[in-house]
Amino acid sequence: MSRVVVSGLGVVSPYGSGTKTFWAGLAAGACAIRPITLIDTEGFRSRVAAEVPADAMAGLGVSPRRARADRLGLAAAREALADAGLGPADRAEAALVIGAVGGGMLEGEAWFWEETRTARPSPRIKALRSILPYTHAETIGWRLGIGGPKETVVMACASGAASIALAADLVREGVVPLALAGGVDALTRICFMGFNALKLLDPDPCRPFDRDRKGMSIGEAAAFVVLEDAERCRARGARDFAKLLGAGISTDAHHVTSPHPEGEGMARAMMLALAAARVDPRAVDYVNAHGTGTLQNDRIEALAIARVLGAGRVPISSTKSLVGHTMAAAGSLEAVASILALHHGLIPPTANLREVDPEIPFDCVPNIARPAPIEVALTNSFGFGGQNVSLVFGR
Amino acid sequence: MSAPRRVVVTGMGTVSAAGIGGRDVVRAVLARRDSALRPLRSFDTATLPSHLAGEVDDEALDALFDRDAARRLSRICRLTVAACRLAVEDARVDAGPTLGLVVGTEFGDFRSSGEFATGFLKRGPSGLSPMLFPGTVMNAMSAAASIAIGVKGPAVTVNQGTVAGEVALARGAALVACGHAEAVLAGGVDELCGPVYQRLAHELGVLSPMRRPDGRRDGVEGCRPYAPDHNGPVLGEGATFVVLEDGEVAGARGATILAELRAARWGNIPVAPYAAPVGRRDPRSVLRASLAEARLPTAALRSCWGSGHGDPALDDWELALLRADLAERPDLLPPRSTAALVGQHGGVGALSAAAASLDLGAGPALVHGLARGGCRVALVLASPTGR
Repeated sequence: MSRVVVSGLGVVSPYGSGTKTFWAGLAAGACAIRPITLIDTEGFRSRVAAEVPADAMAGLGVSPRRARADRLGLAAAREALADAGLGPADRAEAALVIGAVGGGMLEGEAWFWEETRTARPSPRIKALRSILPYTHAETIGWRLGIGGPKETVVMACASGAASIALAADLVREGVVPLALAGGVDALTRICFMGFNALKLLDPDPCRPFDRDRKGMSIGEAAAFVVLEDAERCRARGARDFAKLLGAGISTDAHHVTSPHPEGEGMARAMMLALAAARVDPRAVDYVNAHGTGTLQNDRIEALAIARVLGAGRVPISSTKSLVGHTMAAAGSLEAVASILALHHGLIPPTANLREVDPEIPFDCVPNIARPAPIEVALTNSFGFGGQNVSLVFGR
Repeated sequence: MSAPRRVVVTGMGTVSAAGIGGRDVVRAVLARRDSALRPLRSFDTATLPSHLAGEVDDEALDALFDRDAARRLSRICRLTVAACRLAVEDARVDAGPTLGLVVGTEFGDFRSSGEFATGFLKRGPSGLSPMLFPGTVMNAMSAAASIAIGVKGPAVTVNQGTVAGEVALARGAALVACGHAEAVLAGGVDELCGPVYQRLAHELGVLSPMRRPDGRRDGVEGCRPYAPDHNGPVLGEGATFVVLEDGEVAGARGATILAELRAARWGNIPVAPYAAPVGRRDPRSVLRASLAEARLPTAALRSCWGSGHGDPALDDWELALLRADLAERPDLLPPRSTAALVGQHGGVGALSAAAASLDLGAGPALVHGLARGGCRVALVLASPTGR
């Protein structure tokens, strides 16, 4: 069974394009959650989100005729492959596993809105060719010449992390020597309206772990990693950012939108990941939490982390406070944040945190990034449907 | 180092226009000579060029649920839960943390997305239903099934055109082989999404009778995979799931092992989205890789199942690839296809694999799948005594 390392990173985030831009924003503790410009927010409780800036979109080098999510995904995937120094022959044997939820829904909605409001056929109908989540993999696989297994996983807000866990299996088992894995999501009306309807959005930028938190802020992004067989990576003289030590996937089987009240499934995912990594819970130096900022998630996640790692024993932070909840991209974006935290020895902070909720017995690294020697980082991703994925990275 | 885990098939459940049940119903589907495709009843198709579909009987489906569950679950979730329950009963496998689930789908709960958006367009923010919103995420079916059955291992939803069920089986086998679960319910589901989607499908030109390059539609409507007069797919709906299990665990609990999944590989031929270039070959053939992994020569194969659903370009491309990889076995071609029996949907690949599992008396079977855009799958099934 092979060891798996991360040999390339690619990100398009609400800070802009590129992994360096992403890390600079995280390290500065800059909150990228702002008033929404992409969709009409009239009449909604929350009107903020973390959008990828227009100038960054224009500079992605991807045709604006493509769906917004495809543009995000293609740019981030390209960066990850280039970062790993992979050529066409490498790509031809790589797997592609993408976590997706919204697909090209933003453009599909524009068609649906127009036809419904005008009661006339709209030429925007061609947008429906890109509406399904798997079109990201079709586009990226074709444009980048990926010739290994191609797969689109939809596991709600855990999709990005799941893509990494599932791709790692293919490398570890020797099915492929390397894989491009990550999540993609653009802002959509349905997502924005849905979380508003559930009253899960904070009217202001979200404040995970804060005593007065009022919900989450949505965002959009794409983040990819290149996973590679460790020996292969070493043999070709490539750099590795981190080792993917283990992954755990579990399901609550409890409720469609609410987590198990004791965090049973969350804790099980963390324990499975640590067991797969053969890492003692006491060896974890940092947790990049799912940390959405909703009352329920943050309290239950803290309960689960305390059960697995011990209350107060490890610093935890939520990078969603900086770049919003980027849905299917969140898990892979936070994996990249965790890898960069390991690499730079710096814990990204939890922004907008004034007073930690007494029910969250952890140092939540408020507002300012903190230097720390990190050998092992754990990142959590949870989603509707009781989906739980935890990843363990090591130096 | 421990030996690789052997993946076996221990149960199945299916809901389609051809019937609802476990392995007996799959056997009956296999034995059918006539198609279950009929004129659509659930909505008016008078203004559309296509009128056929493989509809699941509402009364038969609703009879499987109490009133509360029927109210709570969308139709596609009911299809999924019903097929998963039947498969679990058929395999007599335990729920809990050792049971996983992989749901393959092309369209997911498209209907809920439409209803959710329509609520807003008719009545503004107050028209939005928090109950419908979770259905707009494609893992809604896996959520419903995991809760109904008690699946606490990995629950993965795979989104893919045409071969969603085949990819789900391959991923399910990988979950067992990697030790993430002792048993995995793997299969696929889709539903007929209603008149709006039916119109869209026609405007996009993807249903029988498909438009020719000159824009005309000709030929008789119908699903005729690989036939000279094939002119497009006919949609169906339903769900089929099989229970894939660690062979040792299945043996230890005394389960009836129906088949061994000797290899499951999927890959990508990098072509443009929706393209089906008949001339494009596959130097990294997953079919050849699967046979090598299964340690079977092509001469050992006794049957071949394909994903052909009547789309001329895709059928022809699949046949060309199969002819190249099975050059010495022209007798296996054209492959068998279940799409003609029940209509194209995300569960068809799993139905083919289930049927192949029950028809291994003469020898191993190949279940092959190919989608526009180049996603290719190969599953090799053999009798459990064949090793």
